[in-house]
Amino acid sequence: MSHSTSSKTITVVLIGNPNTGKSTLFNALSGARQQVGNYPGVTVEKKQGRLRIDQQDFTLVDLPGSYSLAPRSPDEMISVDVLLGRRDDVAPIDAILCIVDSSNLERNLYLVSQVLEFERPTVLALNMQDVAREKGVLIDVEALRNRLQIPVVEIQANRGRGIEELKQELAQAAHQEPARPESPFPEAFQEEVAFLERIAKEHSRDLPRYLVERLLLDTGGYLEPILDRDIDQGIHEAIQEARTRLQKAGCPAPGVEAMARYGWVSKMLDGVASRPSIHRTTWSDRIDKVLTHWAWGTLAFVLVMLAMFQSVFYIAEPASLGIEKLNSWLVMAAEAVTAEGALRSLLVNGVIEGVGGVLVFLPQIFMLFFFIAILEDCGYMARAAYLMDRVMSRVGLSGKSFIPLLSSFACAIPGVMAARVIENPRDRLVTILVAPLMSCSARLPVYTLMIAAFIPDIPLFGLRFFRLPGATMFGMYFLGIATAVVVVFILKKTILPGQAPPFVMELPTYKLPSAKMVLHRMLDRGFAFVRRAGTLIFAVTVVVWAIAYFPHHESQISPGLLAKRSELQHRIESLENSDAPSAETLLALAAKEKSAVEAKIAGEYLKTSYLGAAGHFIEPVVKPLGWDWRIGCATIASFPAREVVIATLGVIYNLGEDETDAESTSLQQTLRDAKWDGSDCPVFTIPTALSVMVFFALCAQCAATLATIRRETNSYRWPVFTFVYMTTLAYLGSLATFQIGTWWLAG
Amino acid sequence: MIPLQLLTAGASGRVTQLMGGVEEVRRMEELGLRAGAAVEMVQGGNPCIIRLAGNKVCFRRTDALHVLVEESQ
Repeated sequence: MSHSTSSKTITVVLIGNPNTGKSTLFNALSGARQQVGNYPGVTVEKKQGRLRIDQQDFTLVDLPGSYSLAPRSPDEMISVDVLLGRRDDVAPIDAILCIVDSSNLERNLYLVSQVLEFERPTVLALNMQDVAREKGVLIDVEALRNRLQIPVVEIQANRGRGIEELKQELAQAAHQEPARPESPFPEAFQEEVAFLERIAKEHSRDLPRYLVERLLLDTGGYLEPILDRDIDQGIHEAIQEARTRLQKAGCPAPGVEAMARYGWVSKMLDGVASRPSIHRTTWSDRIDKVLTHWAWGTLAFVLVMLAMFQSVFYIAEPASLGIEKLNSWLVMAAEAVTAEGALRSLLVNGVIEGVGGVLVFLPQIFMLFFFIAILEDCGYMARAAYLMDRVMSRVGLSGKSFIPLLSSFACAIPGVMAARVIENPRDRLVTILVAPLMSCSARLPVYTLMIAAFIPDIPLFGLRFFRLPGATMFGMYFLGIATAVVVVFILKKTILPGQAPPFVMELPTYKLPSAKMVLHRMLDRGFAFVRRAGTLIFAVTVVVWAIAYFPHHESQISPGLLAKRSELQHRIESLENSDAPSAETLLALAAKEKSAVEAKIAGEYLKTSYLGAAGHFIEPVVKPLGWDWRIGCATIASFPAREVVIATLGVIYNLGEDETDAESTSLQQTLRDAKWDGSDCPVFTIPTALSVMVFFALCAQCAATLATIRRETNSYRWPVFTFVYMTTLAYLGSLATFQIGTWWLAG
Repeated sequence: MIPLQLLTAGASGRVTQLMGGVEEVRRMEELGLRAGAAVEMVQGGNPCIIRLAGNKVCFRRTDALHVLVEESQ
């Protein structure tokens, strides 16, 4: 090795089956020097780490955990393209690090046999020695090394054992010639591959051998269209002919692959690895006896979920209060450094209150990610999915959709992001699309306000503890769930059809969750949310602020109010300079009167703003819901986040902003006193209150969720679809509630 | 030969055939559920839990895929 080569950064790619401890190894090797992004056009995370071994810089590229390198979707194609050096955003790789679960070499070596075909220097890391030992699996590592003809290192990634040795092997391997293993495929197949390679060359296309093989095996027809720049019609026909010949030769595509690779695996492992013929009961099995039991398991599951949600709210609440305090402090600071006017209003009402209103939910989001990471890391998540599969399969989803949907009751954002664990793309999309229907915590303030103000506290069915307000709240949660079931059913019948795929999922061995891993995952995902949703929330908030603020001209305000304000201002100034004994009391009175006038002025500004105009404009549309133009305004203003509706209602019904709070009795009173313009009829009746609640239960008024859906589905189509279908349902539900409610009360 | 889910808890067998769509069968094979693989029924029902090469796997039967096994004595 010369010195010139050591100045170049060596790129190593890390690959392995799911549940092999790959992320733990990635963290052990690269520590904090990581960089996470996304490959454009897919949902795969682009994770890269840096490390230094003997003065040499390495880049470690983490590929998603996978059982096989047979691409059937753009996400799966990423790994193959990275390994082949076909991506512009990842340097061509110098070596491959493949991690396997020592307790299950039979399956893990399937992937290894594919990896070896890339003909790059490869190092094999045998992880999970402890599990293998407990299961009585014996591996002759020296013999395995000789069979595979690549470096094999025993590691225990979670304890950091074997990491140094692994680094040394990597440093050496990167400069060595790759092993050229014999193909696991039968002769007939290899001949066809060579034949196709020749044809590709004749058409002056230089296709890597691995892709030629895949083209031959990919009877599902995924690869041909995406490689159409590299292949042409002549090759298509040649592939068809080759498949026909293979069929006759008794090694039909794609079945030949599993046959050949598993044949190769058993040849490699024969006499090298052994497992006891009778399974030894491990402590993991003993835990499973309880946790997957139909009764005890379900009970434990309910307890785990209860504990998780209790802790999410219990722990997150002080932090949320802290953020609220910080917000009000920032408001004061902004008011101190800016003059009255558009800039101050933008800072205070737009940026701080708008973005801050969403940030208040950050502690909850982080706590949820924290608990999800613990459940994932210890292996319980798979058991929860197993237990819930029975219920979820009835509505056409699998058990894997359960956790994302459950998380959505706290906040749809972690819910939508948690849907990544669902491999089936259709199930994943359906789960993402209905997750926002679960009543998240941002709906609570709306429910609380409406119920406290308008739902009479009477017992139901003569039961003292079963009262109307509680039943109404339950009804709202139930409405979301029931709607989701119907939407799943319809989606599966219409735009996302197809047979339910067989549900197969590994139940990994239990282990103690590692604090490092859990914190890492929580911060990783939490900040991913902040980064991705933050900019969009900010933009939407500013737009809504602008339409609620402008034109902001004094001519919008009735002269009487303006005169009253300057009169009060003068009175306050003179009282402040006065030494009269009653001055203090009078000052307080005047200040109170002034803030009432200010609230009226704020209300008039809002009424005559573009938002107010929009509210008036949509009044005919919302009138059948029992809403006046003010509720319409508040609904438009709450597009960035549902809970904004309360603050807007407060302003628009001329209430001082300080008193705008879901529990504030004055807001409740103001809403009760609200009258339709130019009449004595109250705006809010029980049907109106219910109609507002139903609307907010079903609508998609959350820019952050829509931004997350955009990110996770990588298309604007699905957030737009979600918004349209949820708003339509919300409108219809709200319309039905008001009309039926009014008719029922009248009858 | 019997369908996999008819194995009673504790019984073992060997997979003889996977029947279903090409893609489904391939996914199963990559997971290790393939002709010749030894399986043990850990917990019956649908979904059931089977042991495959020492690992536990949860499996729900669907119309898209049938797994036939030869029960060993």
